[in-house]
Amino acid sequence: MKPLDPRLLHRARAARLYVLLTAGLGILTAALVIAQALLLAAVLAPVVTGTARWDDVAPTVALLAAVVAVRALVSGAQERFAHRSATRATAELREQVVAHAVALGPRWLAREEGVGVATLATRGLDALEPYFVRYLPQLLLAVTVTPGALAVVLGLDWVAAATIAATIPLVPLFMVLIGRLTQGYAERRMTVMARLGHQVLDLLAGLPTLQTLGRERGPAARVRELGDAHRVATMGTLRVAFLSGMVLELLTTLSVALVAVGVGFRLVGGTLDLQTGLAVLVLAPEVYLPLRQVGAHFHASADGVAAAEQAFTLLETPAPGHGTRPAPDLRRTTVVLRDVCVAAPDRDVLAPAHLDLELAPGTTVALAGANGAGKSTAVSVLLGLLPPTDGTVTLVPAGTSEAAEAAEADRPDAPGEPGGPDGGALALADVDPATLWAQVAWVPQRPVLEPGTLRDAVAHGRTVGDEALGRAAQATGLDAVLAGLPQGWDTRIGQGGVGLSLGQRQRVALSRALVADAQLVVLDEPTAHLDADGEAVVLRTLAALAAQGRTVLLVAHRPALLACADTVVTVVAEPRGLDAAPDAPTVSEGVRP
Amino acid sequence: MSPRPARDVLRRDDPLRRAVALLEVDRRRVLLAVLAGTAGLGSAVGLAAVSAWLIARASQMPPVMYLTIAAVSVRALGISRGVLRYVERLVSHDVALRGMATLRVRLYERLAAGDAGALVALRRGDLLARVGADVDSVGDVVVRGLLPVGVAATLGVGSVVLVGAFLPEAGLALALCLLLAGVVAPWWSVRATREAETRSAQARADMAATTLTLLDGAGELAVAGRTGQMLGHLRRADRDLADASDRAARPAAVSAALLPLAIGLAVLAALVLGIPATTAGRLAPVELAVVVLTPLAAFEAVSMLPAAGVQLLRSRQAARRITELLDAAGGEPSPAGGPVPRGGRGQAAGAPGTPEVDERPAADGARDAGPARPGAAAGTLVARGLACGWPGRAPVLRDLDLTVGPGRSVAIVGPSGVGKTTLLLTLAGVLPPVAGEVRAGGDPVHALTRSAAARRVALTTEDAHVFDTTLLENLRVGRGDVTPEEAAATLDAVGLRAWLDALPDGLETVLGADATRVSGGERRRVLLARALLGPAPVLLLDEPTEHVDAGAARVMTGLLDGSLTGGRGVVVVTHRVTGLEAADEVILLDRTGSVRARGRHRDLLGVDPDGVEDSDVRAAYRSAWTAQEQES
Ligand SMILES: Nc1ncnc2c1ncn2[C@@H]1O[C@H](COP(=O)(O)OP(=O)(O)OP(=O)(O)O)[C@@H](O)[C@H]1O
Ligand SMILES: Nc1ncnc2c1ncn2[C@@H]1O[C@H](COP(=O)(O)OP(=O)(O)OP(=O)(O)O)[C@@H](O)[C@H]1O
Ligand SMILES: [Mg+2]
Ligand SMILES: [Mg+2]
Repeated sequence: MKPLDPRLLHRARAARLYVLLTAGLGILTAALVIAQALLLAAVLAPVVTGTARWDDVAPTVALLAAVVAVRALVSGAQERFAHRSATRATAELREQVVAHAVALGPRWLAREEGVGVATLATRGLDALEPYFVRYLPQLLLAVTVTPGALAVVLGLDWVAAATIAATIPLVPLFMVLIGRLTQGYAERRMTVMARLGHQVLDLLAGLPTLQTLGRERGPAARVRELGDAHRVATMGTLRVAFLSGMVLELLTTLSVALVAVGVGFRLVGGTLDLQTGLAVLVLAPEVYLPLRQVGAHFHASADGVAAAEQAFTLLETPAPGHGTRPAPDLRRTTVVLRDVCVAAPDRDVLAPAHLDLELAPGTTVALAGANGAGKSTAVSVLLGLLPPTDGTVTLVPAGTSEAAEAAEADRPDAPGEPGGPDGGALALADVDPATLWAQVAWVPQRPVLEPGTLRDAVAHGRTVGDEALGRAAQATGLDAVLAGLPQGWDTRIGQGGVGLSLGQRQRVALSRALVADAQLVVLDEPTAHLDADGEAVVLRTLAALAAQGRTVLLVAHRPALLACADTVVTVVAEPRGLDAAPDAPTVSEGVRP
Repeated sequence: MSPRPARDVLRRDDPLRRAVALLEVDRRRVLLAVLAGTAGLGSAVGLAAVSAWLIARASQMPPVMYLTIAAVSVRALGISRGVLRYVERLVSHDVALRGMATLRVRLYERLAAGDAGALVALRRGDLLARVGADVDSVGDVVVRGLLPVGVAATLGVGSVVLVGAFLPEAGLALALCLLLAGVVAPWWSVRATREAETRSAQARADMAATTLTLLDGAGELAVAGRTGQMLGHLRRADRDLADASDRAARPAAVSAALLPLAIGLAVLAALVLGIPATTAGRLAPVELAVVVLTPLAAFEAVSMLPAAGVQLLRSRQAARRITELLDAAGGEPSPAGGPVPRGGRGQAAGAPGTPEVDERPAADGARDAGPARPGAAAGTLVARGLACGWPGRAPVLRDLDLTVGPGRSVAIVGPSGVGKTTLLLTLAGVLPPVAGEVRAGGDPVHALTRSAAARRVALTTEDAHVFDTTLLENLRVGRGDVTPEEAAATLDAVGLRAWLDALPDGLETVLGADATRVSGGERRRVLLARALLGPAPVLLLDEPTEHVDAGAARVMTGLLDGSLTGGRGVVVVTHRVTGLEAADEVILLDRTGSVRARGRHRDLLGVDPDGVEDSDVRAAYRSAWTAQEQES
């Protein structure tokens, strides 16, 4: 764990300026500290020895007062900018972490590390504040005040300087040692903290379930256990960190005492005058003070450093690369999946396995197949959210010979390839996904509904007029639901749509997709949870979409839904390793009712 | 100390007081920490005073013997300062961490005993902030808020007395400077923070909520083209935070400048007062050094106070958010500190993800209906004249009679939003009936404790939660002592054999929070397996075959004819016609929430000539399936 990670300066611009400023203030502080000590000694010594009276020292006291005033200003300036830079730098890192985690995709987010990102990005990075506000300034003072004051002591009394110089190297040595010792602890603590955060959240999300099963009281033990694990991990860090603080403190106090006693005896021996002695006495602790403070703030900052470390690791995880070419107009483009396989993480299956699919503009294609066959996964691949383990996804201009174009697109680097909207086929991997998504509306199998009003849920961040909302509601049967709600669009729903029945939630999700008015509509089991009426409305809407020339991709189990597809593609999973070609035809022609 | 929080804390209903009571801090440890802290910093002051005396006295070249005592005590004080500080920091942090752990448990217990519905109104990020950072912030109030105040007050008085003993006016000056650093400076910083905090509280909540929204719905947001927009939200929330801290920075800077100013003033005052006194002979020259140099150390304790004031303020605001959550959930506090479940004391059950500690007498005991009333049919669920609905809304369902028991299955069908799920929640005793009654094993189900009710009738809702733990532990949520063999057999029965076989870790596979690592149909089947493994003799299942593939008919038939459930009573809500032939009774609800028709599936369809005579009913029943007719 480096005290000042260059990556931090690289990633957070606010940190760079701040370090410069703090370094400048550090040099100023060093000068002031030294001046204050020398002036104090110059005032005290003659009075103590009885050689001066108030009038003799009054000008020096005035100078001292000026130094005090400037020191106060410097402290104020330091504080003025510390918090601000801390918040800015944290914000910069947070945004990068969240954006990168999102870019790593849903499958990565479902993994252990992915789940921890929430805590890292919120509480974890907030721990950078003590690092910036308390630790970093002291670190910089340690390289300004400490050598400066030491140099002055050397000029005043080389014996005292030698005493200090002999003990000083022990301080960084100890700190490195302690850094080594606590490193593992701080990292583990971060992990434990992330686990504590997301598991308690998980338990709270599951509280209604636990209550229906009468098991809501048991997990208190789990919460206790997580809290204890957190305490043990933290105390582990703290014990070492505080011990290190104590050793440093003892070391410094003892050497200050050593200096003081030495000075005292040399005063007695008459080899040193009082003014020098006092100056050394006041300066000696100042030499050590920043080092001690670094030790004292070490544990508070260790969290921030560990969080930053995790953030950098995350930022260095390569995200699947995105293409840059604009997506062609989907009204004139066929999406072709060839031999697509996705290996399920940690499972011995390919789901889907060897999937071939052609989604021509204006057609309705349904994906059917057993649970876990990979239908929803195939949708993710087609949308460019998940790179396939094997196989290709290409965007082929309608009317060209698909097979030939798809084959060409397999060699994306071939020179002179026309590619793009008016040219030949384009590999999905080369396309800027945002330009594709702008033409897509998607209802996932379990859509996310956040607390808010129904209007928020359906508009989904877009500015949509009441008329467009109304039209979408009509197409899904949500209008009938709204008619029964006294507050209409302003009805509030809870996390996951609580407050509505399941069928009503499904209608909200469908309306949200239809508001988008997109060319390609992807619906993952759109009639799940719907009653006969709701299903009939959706079937009618599907027919209307087809009539408007939209392209529709459905995932369906129910025969009624399958029947409205032009083509039904059966998705199959396959044990990994056993690379048997599927001998059953996977495409069957359906007839539009 | 900062005047406002300090004054408010004295009020009994202050959120901070309420929350701190939940920390259950060990007072002896706190006292130990205060003593160690005071003694430790006291050593520092002593050290400064003695070494100043030492040097000044030495300059008078006395016999060395006079100095040795001082030299020894300098070393002793140096050591005791380090050691005592170590003890103080260790003890106080231990107190804080224990408090946080306890508060988190109490918070969970209260929420568990209360209405979980209160939680869904919060965005997940906000909830995460409350159970995480806010709890820690309240826990920190002892170490970072109260402890420094105690230590600084004791030490401040001590140093003033010490200096005052030599030169009373210097003592007075020191006292004034200490007040400047210890009261005025914290007042400024609290003022700064209060302003920032009220502005930033909203921004902080937004930041956390937006972060979680982005992470939870990553794919959906990306395709909807909203990732950039949400990142913009995040940036805006962070900018608000930065603005707030900027606004606070000016007063905070004043506060930060006040400390060195106060130290400097104390030294200057000592000089200005001490030098003439020395010249006048009222103060020995050696004592002048002590009077001037001691203040340098005396401010160490006081220097923590601005941060302490800020901590008190932050803790108080965190406490307010936590108590708001508690009040919304309405879990009643009990004198013992533990929650009182509705209707009395229930039995603790094991947690997901933990080795099971089950207090129930035995597995066999757990399987029966629990202590049913003598004479009442165990394992039956009877509803009479039942009306149900949500508090504060008009009842949705009325006048329902229903009986299930061993070997009897009932299917409920009807239009969306008519109250089927609400009915199941009422039958399970989660919602109180609006009218009529529900008896399980002879007792009114809503009056039973949650765990007792759940041993007689178990409900699996469609949005039931899959926990972020292993498959086996997820199955054990319903019954703690499920063996791996039982689990494997039940998974086989619900059609997950092939899936289970493909899992390298088998039953130990972690499913991911809210089932993020399984497919929709797999999730549904796992929930079904969990329900089947439960101990209750009556099962209530909401849409158990939604998202299930072509095997749905088999599953539904198995549930209704008893082959999957082992002959337990079953109530199923469904929108699908498949498998309904196997139900002993189908209840068709109409739009108004009353029973339109009931009977066997074939009778309602009008296949059986002795069945339903009313052709309207037949038409209504058929129309529930028109779109799906090809399915049957
Ligand atoms: N938590 C809640 N608070 C208040 N009202 C609710 C809540 N949940 C559902 N409702 C309302 O109660 C009514 C009945 O809902 P319920 O979920 O019981 O319907 P349902 O028959 O199960 O419908 P579906 O077939 O769509 O699941 C609906 O109008 C719904 O909006
Ligand atoms: N994040 C993940 N980690 C591990 N395995 C996963 C993950 N997501 C999906 N899987 C597995 O990949 C397979 C395909 O899942 P997918 O959701 O595509 O199925 P599906 O065909 O949509 O099924 P359903 O009809 O049940 O919705 C399943 O076996 C599932 O368990
Ligand atoms: Mg799916
Ligand atoms: Mg329902």
